Amino acid sequence: MTIATSNFLVPNGTLIVELIAFLIVLGVIAKWVLPVLNAMMTERQEQIRSELAAADAAKADADAADAERRSVLEAARRQAREIVDQANRTADQVTTAAQARAQAEYERIVQAADAEVSVARQAAVEQVTAQVGAIVVAAAERVVGREIRASDHQDLIDEAVAAVRAGAGSDEAAAGAAGQGR
Amino acid sequence: MGAVLSSAHPLATSLLADISVGDHIQRTVGGLQLNLDTIWATAAAGIVTIALGLMLRRSATSGVPGKFQLAWETALSAVHTQVDGSIGPRGKRIVPLAVTLFVFILVCNLFGVVGLGATYDFLLPPTADINLPLAMSLFVIVLVHVASIRSRGIGGYVKHYLTQPFPIFLMPFNLFINVVEELAKPITLALRLFGNLLSGGLMLSLLAYLVVWKIGVIPVGGILALVFNPVWKLFDVLIGLIQAFIFALLTILYFDVAMSDAH
Repeated sequence: MTIATSNFLVPNGTLIVELIAFLIVLGVIAKWVLPVLNAMMTERQEQIRSELAAADAAKADADAADAERRSVLEAARRQAREIVDQANRTADQVTTAAQARAQAEYERIVQAADAEVSVARQAAVEQVTAQVGAIVVAAAERVVGREIRASDHQDLIDEAVAAVRAGAGSDEAAAGAAGQGR
Repeated sequence: MGAVLSSAHPLATSLLADISVGDHIQRTVGGLQLNLDTIWATAAAGIVTIALGLMLRRSATSGVPGKFQLAWETALSAVHTQVDGSIGPRGKRIVPLAVTLFVFILVCNLFGVVGLGATYDFLLPPTADINLPLAMSLFVIVLVHVASIRSRGIGGYVKHYLTQPFPIFLMPFNLFINVVEELAKPITLALRLFGNLLSGGLMLSLLAYLVVWKIGVIPVGGILALVFNPVWKLFDVLIGLIQAFIFALLTILYFDVAMSDAH
């Protein structure tokens, strides 16, 4: 073993030893180290990719759920609007029908009352005419001083009754005109 | 600086003469001259590199990586990116070579940080001896030529040297240029690394010799050496990193040129 000075640019036998040393290092690193590191990096990338995919899927699910919620909400709103509209229409119909029924009932009652009034008047007129005949006969008996047989003067009585009727008829016409004006 | 030193100290002139390059502890084995200091430094660097690799192998996880694994992964993915970008998927096979070159050269270069600047340093960076850089660059260039032949075929390989870069009628000129270029590749690849590391070591030697400079009893040179030695070593770390990176990068680029169809 000597200490020697040689041209520093010229290689010597050390080159072969150095080459072998480098090849050993290269072999160990290439065979036992880098494959492991590569596998770990690939595995991590795979994990990250799958996690991202899962996150994407979850986001898509959430979006779909949100869209569904929106559509359901929209449908519910629409339905609610329809129900309210329907209710309003029904209420209008009911009101209109009730008004119509009330009007009809009112008219019916008024008509019935009118009819009753005219029947009562008729009856009163009948009664009055019947009594007027008797009163006329009694008055005439007193004036004439003797018994008058009603059958003997039926023509006169009828004439008087007709006169009374005519008077009552004009009354009735006047009453009818007043009823219509009401 | 030599003038300052020699005027400052009569010993300085003779000491400066002691700074020499190419000194090695040598032994001749079977007719081969071996630089023993380089060999044991290389062995140490190899053991450190392999130990770093096996430590990684044991602790590697596909979960959150630690700083140590992250450093390895950074180197590996940087090489992957470079190879994918230049050569493409065919370059996958040279990734382990480039990564090993980078890590191993980096470890070798960092040995400069423990150097003292002595004439025979206990652990010099083995890359500061031409043998290791040249061994690696020759290995790389041989593989590059093998890859070129596999990629182009023998005919294409030969034709490539005759028809580029000038038209076919300048064939001899093309051949000359290409042969010079191919010969220059391993030499420049080796010398670039070797020169940077050798000069780094020389700088440490020069800084060590500053110690002899005294003014009266004040050790001016010693103080300067104390200041500049760590500064230079920090710089050396950067140089070591850059040179390791350049060696690996050029390896990839040489493969790229060899394997690309158009050149």
